Amino acid sequence: METELHVRVQEEDVAIDDLLRRARRSGVGGIVLFDGIVRDDDCEALELEAYEAAAVAELERVARDAGERHRLAFVAVVHRTGRLAVGENILVIVAAAGHRAEAFAACREILEAIKAGVPIWKKEYGPGGDRWVRGEHWPAEGA
Amino acid sequence: MTVRVRFFAQFRERYGGDHRVEPAPGATVADVVRSVAGTGADEDSAIGPDGALRDYVILMRNGTRLEHDEAETTTVEDGDELAVFPPVAGG
Repeated sequence: METELHVRVQEEDVAIDDLLRRARRSGVGGIVLFDGIVRDDDCEALELEAYEAAAVAELERVARDAGERHRLAFVAVVHRTGRLAVGENILVIVAAAGHRAEAFAACREILEAIKAGVPIWKKEYGPGGDRWVRGEHWPAEGA
Repeated sequence: MTVRVRFFAQFRERYGGDHRVEPAPGATVADVVRSVAGTGADEDSAIGPDGALRDYVILMRNGTRLEHDEAETTTVEDGDELAVFPPVAGG
């Protein structure tokens, strides 16, 4: 089964309902949606920056790999860029498979791969000023 | 020979986002990055005071990642696009 991919890096909001509608199809028994949003802990807004060509290529590779490994019928990965207010969508992943286990596993795998290696960065704006967020894979202090 | 050098995130703010440079024949990827970024004593500089790339700096040449030792030995070619950035923080 070939996985249908929908991969975008975009400023505009994500049409989640449209993606869920596209994911519903013959043979699909489980759809997992991840929606990462801007959290309000000392943060008023985020600025997302991407190396767009490289980010799209890497997101496509990640989505295709997960689609093959977990036999997904459909997978969507949409990462936003630009300035986003608290509560706005940052990243949406939709994974549709025959069974829930594959859909959950694929969704988590895609998310972790994005955090580890896709060239996208975020800057937080809060009451105390602004700062670049250090991702989970930033080397430890003094390492 | 023209090579494009792009910086992202905090490096973009420090060095500017997009540079066109004309390196001498035989210049390596690291030479070209050094020619734009110079050196810096503070931890947020991409290049340390000794001229070495900071350990955490990530390099791409035409969309493919390069290890630091490869950057010191890989010579640039006309039309190359180099990207220099800190560890990613998307998602």
